[in-house]
Amino acid sequence: MRRICAAMAAVLLAGCGAGPSEVFDGGPAPTGVAPGVTLYFLDERGELTPDRRDTGRLGSISEAMALLLTGPGGSGLHTGIAEGSVERMMVTVKPGLVDLVTPLEIGEVTPAGIDQIVCTALGVHVQSGGSTDTRVRVGFVQPTPESEELRTCPLIG
Amino acid sequence: MRPRRWPGPRGLRSRLLAAFVLVTVVAAGAAAWSGAGAAGAALVSSHRERTTGDVAVRIAEAAPQLSYPPDRESLDRLRQAVGGDTAVTFGELSSSEGLDTSLVPGGLRAAVRREHRLAAQRVTLEGRSWLLVGTPVMITAPDGSRTASGIEVYTLRDLAGVEREVAGVTRAAAATAAAALPLAALLALLAARGVLRPVRDLRDTAGRLASGDLDARSEPQGADELAELAGAVNDMAGSLQESMAAMERMQADARRFAADVSHELRTPLSTLAAVAEVLEDATGGMEGDARESARMAVSETQRLVRLVEDLMEVSRFDAGTARLHTEEVDVSAAVRDCLRLRGWSEQVRVEADGRVRARVDRRRVDVIVANLVGNALRHGAAPVRVRVRALPEEVRVTVTDSGPGLGEDVLPSVFDRFYKADAARTRSAGSGLGLAIARENARLHGGDLTAADTGAGARFDLVLPRREEER
Repeated sequence: MRRICAAMAAVLLAGCGAGPSEVFDGGPAPTGVAPGVTLYFLDERGELTPDRRDTGRLGSISEAMALLLTGPGGSGLHTGIAEGSVERMMVTVKPGLVDLVTPLEIGEVTPAGIDQIVCTALGVHVQSGGSTDTRVRVGFVQPTPESEELRTCPLIG
Repeated sequence: MRPRRWPGPRGLRSRLLAAFVLVTVVAAGAAAWSGAGAAGAALVSSHRERTTGDVAVRIAEAAPQLSYPPDRESLDRLRQAVGGDTAVTFGELSSSEGLDTSLVPGGLRAAVRREHRLAAQRVTLEGRSWLLVGTPVMITAPDGSRTASGIEVYTLRDLAGVEREVAGVTRAAAATAAAALPLAALLALLAARGVLRPVRDLRDTAGRLASGDLDARSEPQGADELAELAGAVNDMAGSLQESMAAMERMQADARRFAADVSHELRTPLSTLAAVAEVLEDATGGMEGDARESARMAVSETQRLVRLVEDLMEVSRFDAGTARLHTEEVDVSAAVRDCLRLRGWSEQVRVEADGRVRARVDRRRVDVIVANLVGNALRHGAAPVRVRVRALPEEVRVTVTDSGPGLGEDVLPSVFDRFYKADAARTRSAGSGLGLAIARENARLHGGDLTAADTGAGARFDLVLPRREEER
């Protein structure tokens, strides 16, 4: 009889839930704070160079794009994007894809200039917590196959 | 050592019922308990995942707009973005509302600081359950490498809602388990009926056997132990019936033998009786010893004749061939006639309720009364009284004497055949069958004859029904 009682007690105890003191893992911590935003320009040899601006915060992809289109300023770097014409870009973030719609014509941007746009957008996306595998699509004003291409940054990922 | 017997239901039906219900309660209870536990755990864990995911999304959405290193105003903004009772710290700087960071358990704080991952823990504050979510905010470089920013967020999320849901699940499970009880009881009753019907059959069969119906048998149903038991009971009844039949056969043989013997004795005896009468007439001319011997031979012959007649009468009762010849008789007059014929009127006092009419066999009543009064006169002492009473349904004739009465050892066997109360009186005139025949005669009427000791003599009660019974 005592053994049956013990077995029943064990069965009943097994039905009880876990105690309140356990620490559960909730996944990776959120991210997104940064002392500034990183833009990409070209050095004298025409190669991509990160240029961190101490804006005090990371900001959004649109804000980074606005800074990029404004130009390198007096830092001694160059840009492959025609200056002065536009300052804004439409940014849509989808799963695995950052979709940029520029008000630029394909002729106003060199291939290195396209890399500048891709790297800057992807950099902000990654710093906000996005994946480095994310692709970037840069759309131009005229219909062109370039607008459909899914690009990655040669310096990231 | 034998354990104390548990007090509990004794009947098979209630025992089966109790066992079924107990098993159901335990099984359904355990299933409900574990089911409710699993469902509750799933509810709690999905709620936790949703909550931590929500906190992470809120922080991730607010973080890019926060200045870094953060000032007090930035921490406030992050706290508001997270919402609820939240504390945000950055080194010495902190912004909190509704949550004192000193309440954060060490285990959770260590998980946040060392693992650099979001962590959650259930805590109880002021009697309520909360989910305490803690997380560092990370700095991610453009290449994806992460470092801790030093900002930590702790926030409380209410668990009352999910606990209500878990309680609801538990209640539903308990209700389901309880709903199984009537079903279990029904099944138990059905099972009990299946077992109890053969048992009841057996009980009835045994009862009929005990009350003398040796043809009673149980129909064995199925091939279980109860069917075997029924078969065994049937076998027992069969062998009992056989031995009873054998015994009855032997008894019948013995009675037939007695009847045959007395019948065979009658013819030579009647010759002998005739010779004895001649001899009795001739004793006048005999010498002393010869006359004595002749008289003894005559009296013993007469006794032998009476004995054989009584034996034949008993044989008729045993064989069931004794017949009543009833007529309307005044029992008082019959008793007086009986006494007068035998010359006992002077010695016996008769008390009668006037004319007492009944349908009886006059000859047999005469035999009974003669036997009773004769015994009273022979073995008892005067005064001998005969009282005839008319009761609504019966006639009661009571014969009492004032003799030594009937001892306790005599009373039970006074109606036995050839029973002699006193071994010294073996040579008395009676055959030893008189009282046995008297009682058989009373019973043949549907009445009875009983004996009792009054304390001052013997009393015999003859009871005869006034109307002839249906037979």
